[in-house]
Amino acid sequence: MDFITENLITILILLPAFGALALIGHQLFWKEEAHLKWLTLAFTLVNFLISLLLLGNSTASANGFFFEKNIPWIEAINTNYHIGVDGFSLWLVILTTFIMPISVLSTWHAVEKRAPAFYVFLLLLESAMLGVFVTLDLLVFYLFFEASLIPMFFLIGIWGGKERIYAAVKFFIFTALGSLLMLVAIIALYYLQLQATGVGSFDYVVLLRSIQEGNLVIAGQAGTLLFLAFALAFSIKVPLFPFHTWLPDAHTEAPTAGSVILAGVLLKMGTYGLMRFNFTLFPEASRELAWIFIILAIIGIIYGALVAMVQPDIKRLVAYSSVAHMGFVILGMFSFTEAGMQGALYTMLSHGVTTGALFLLVGFIYERRHTRLISEYGGLSGIMPVYATFFVITAMASIGLPFLNGFVGEFMIMLGMWTSTALSGNWNQIATMLAGTGVVFAAVYLLWMVQRVFFGKLTNNKNKSLRDLDLREIGLMAPLLFLMVFMGVYPSAFLSASRDSVKEIQRIVSGDTKGGAVARTRTKPPAAITAGKEEAEK
Amino acid sequence: MNTILLADLVNPNVVIQTVLPEMVLAVTAIFIMVYDSYVPGKHRVTATLSLIGLAASSFALYQLWSEPGVFASGFNGMVVTDGLRLSFTAVFILVAALTILISSVWIDNENVPAGEYHVLVLFATIGMMFMASGNDMVIIFLGVETLSIATYVMAGLRKTDLRSNESAMKYFVLGSYASAFLLYGMALIYGATGSTNITEIASSLDSASFPALLLVGGAMLLIGFGFKVAVVPFHVWTPDVYEGAPSPITGFMAAGPKAAAFASFLRVFVIGFPLVAGSVAAQYLHETWITALAIIAILTTTVGNLAAIVQNNVKRMLAYSSIAHAGYALVGFVGAGVATTIEGRNEAIAAVAFYMLTYSVANLGAFAVLTLLARKNDRRTEFEDYNGIGFKSPVLSFTLSLFMLSLLGLPLTAGFIGKVLVFRPALEAGQTLLTVMVVVAVINTAISAYYYLRLIVVMFFRERSTDWVVPKIPAAVGFALLVAVLGVFYFGLFGNSVIRSFTSVPAEAPVSASNR
Repeated sequence: MDFITENLITILILLPAFGALALIGHQLFWKEEAHLKWLTLAFTLVNFLISLLLLGNSTASANGFFFEKNIPWIEAINTNYHIGVDGFSLWLVILTTFIMPISVLSTWHAVEKRAPAFYVFLLLLESAMLGVFVTLDLLVFYLFFEASLIPMFFLIGIWGGKERIYAAVKFFIFTALGSLLMLVAIIALYYLQLQATGVGSFDYVVLLRSIQEGNLVIAGQAGTLLFLAFALAFSIKVPLFPFHTWLPDAHTEAPTAGSVILAGVLLKMGTYGLMRFNFTLFPEASRELAWIFIILAIIGIIYGALVAMVQPDIKRLVAYSSVAHMGFVILGMFSFTEAGMQGALYTMLSHGVTTGALFLLVGFIYERRHTRLISEYGGLSGIMPVYATFFVITAMASIGLPFLNGFVGEFMIMLGMWTSTALSGNWNQIATMLAGTGVVFAAVYLLWMVQRVFFGKLTNNKNKSLRDLDLREIGLMAPLLFLMVFMGVYPSAFLSASRDSVKEIQRIVSGDTKGGAVARTRTKPPAAITAGKEEAEK
Repeated sequence: MNTILLADLVNPNVVIQTVLPEMVLAVTAIFIMVYDSYVPGKHRVTATLSLIGLAASSFALYQLWSEPGVFASGFNGMVVTDGLRLSFTAVFILVAALTILISSVWIDNENVPAGEYHVLVLFATIGMMFMASGNDMVIIFLGVETLSIATYVMAGLRKTDLRSNESAMKYFVLGSYASAFLLYGMALIYGATGSTNITEIASSLDSASFPALLLVGGAMLLIGFGFKVAVVPFHVWTPDVYEGAPSPITGFMAAGPKAAAFASFLRVFVIGFPLVAGSVAAQYLHETWITALAIIAILTTTVGNLAAIVQNNVKRMLAYSSIAHAGYALVGFVGAGVATTIEGRNEAIAAVAFYMLTYSVANLGAFAVLTLLARKNDRRTEFEDYNGIGFKSPVLSFTLSLFMLSLLGLPLTAGFIGKVLVFRPALEAGQTLLTVMVVVAVINTAISAYYYLRLIVVMFFRERSTDWVVPKIPAAVGFALLVAVLGVFYFGLFGNSVIRSFTSVPAEAPVSASNR
């Protein structure tokens, strides 16, 4: 047990990769494809259970991270395998391990060809994703960030839909281009640190401390350029308008499990990176350029919603709704308020659950009818009552109905934006109002789609013999539905764990000096914000 | 110091140990030549003998490596034992060994005169090793010629094939032309500094008799070496030669001779033409070659990658990719040139060597798979021939994909560490041109994703409509593939130890001929 708690994070990263090897070994000796999904499920479930240990009691290291480990990797360039979680990354790790078994179950019957490779890639993807959220060394972070591309590339390219090759290549090139510029920025940071202190470093903690102690000064043009290089990589991943064009293609063409993981976890790497690295390493540039991100986020929210409205394909509709939701996350983060940033984190989690669930639901119906066109359906509620119920609940959660998870995050984001000082004058209020229209649009496109698919007369005869959800599918949806309600009514279960870490990031990005009680950029007393947040939690 | 003393001729300062790796290989090669003329056609025997020779040579190299400073130089400073030489020589030996393993299938298929072929590989390797160890332009030129003549013949080994003949002919004509440039440049540098010894050249830059000669000579050398490493605009011979030559030899040419040319190129420019404080001529020369090479690096990565995108032949694609990789290595080269400290310079030189190592491993691995898939006479080398073979031959296609990802420089593979290491020193200088060079190289890396992934896309994402017979993997090729795969992962994950040993023998003071 000691061994496990000691190396908890490393085990989390390596277990799926080990599982992938085990799968290959199994295939070499037994050639029994039916076992594979069980094995994969077992590995992902065990990993989920292990990840729950992160919630247990443990003391933070001096750097403020839990379960921290720092092992030298390549001494010539002073890069270390430095891992650890804080309240912020903790939930993203658990979200990842939680989504994985669900996505494995979602493809129980759907993977017909090359099943071994499918599960191997799925497991490798999990390792890479977990690595992204726990690494505290920029170079190793980049390594995992890029490594997660490969399994996804294969998942889309081999098991995707008709346009899979186009979608896979577009996905890869878009994301790779962004992250390579980040690599240049990472190396540049190394040299800035080398010039400032005499010892170059890729270590996030070291760099951060060096900045806070005033040794490493990243200011002016250099700061802006470095910030932009990081931000571009993450904005493409999020995706922020206008870098979003890869997302609908990738989502639509990916197999269900791929879409679930893509929406549930991969997009969060972008927002995670922005908040973790951009905000803390380049606080000044973050504040200066916040208006750009707020404008792009609002455009994304409205544009995503409007485009979603006219989509004939359900999956594409959900994909564009992701663009809108991630716009909210960006908005909340760039409000630089605790409420906004906590709300952003919460929306990241609930978007993972809700959109993942939506993709699962789309997958269920696609497996039955092999079409996702809204016009092919109509009046399904009579034939598939359970399915319709689940779908409506999930859609409501996505819209942001109170008592469901979507509401809490979006409300906090808007609250945070309203009280934010990231924009001068009344622009923050205007921004909040504009973003608020997005919620209305969300209701329009989702409810309209629900109405066309589930209600009215049963128009298409092919739909008459559709069977309702079976036990596996209900079992699959149950935890997600539970979470939607639970996260809707008891958010502080999640938010209390992340509060300190988010507060710390907020303190750094808003330009607070160490120990300074009053934020320089904050006009309202912090108490008002906390009160507002508690209101939101009620 | 400009006069040749009679004492030098009487006492030539023979230190056999410094050239032991080369000598061991030369003896092996001559032995095989003799053996083959008595017992011709025993290609397994000659291959085994060559491998044994390479192993012995690497043992001799290891001896030199483990006792740094004992045999730091020999032959009046004409041969040195520093990090540059040791690390590049290790790359050459690995390349030669892999090439011999990979060639076995080709020799079986096409009735190649195996004994001669193996001897040629060994002599080419000796040439490469002298290019890395020579601290004197004369030795370097000898190395260049030994290597070139062997490779001209190797490119044309498929005697009845027109493409192979074209390849050899083009390589020969253009290669000789480049050698002429090289020689002319050496002569001019000698005219300016009065020496052919790199160390002496470096120390007499400030007292050069005709500074203009330095510049012209430097330009000639740059053109000559530019041809050998195939950088834009001296690259035009590469695609035709690489496409026409038999696949294993193409792999060899893209990895070995290129790395060797980089070794001498580095030695002559980085160590020979350094920035000397207070010397106008040296500063001007240094500034000029740095600028020229930075622009060449920008051109090379861009042209190489853009041209690779439109290729429909896999070998041609890899030829352009090798041009692009020369550009990436050049980025590290320039970084070595602008390094302000000796440690920085050595690290940058080691970075280039490590880059060539990662490139060689992935590239030779790719050519091994290519050779197997191409069948006899390299018939199947179009992208179409790879349609949908992914799951029909998973071992070959997954390893090929791995090599492509390493060439692309994706994390967890060797190529990633290589790229990080070569991009790093150039950023340190903080000069605008160099930063632009790195950014261009990085954008080009993203562009290169398109054509490397194309091969993966073709193999895995498309379906095959025509019949396809899975090629058998002979033991030798299988072993080479295993080495390459392990290499890609080992250098990618645990590159630390390799980098450390590459920098362990500093090139700080190659004992100059003047203070012997």
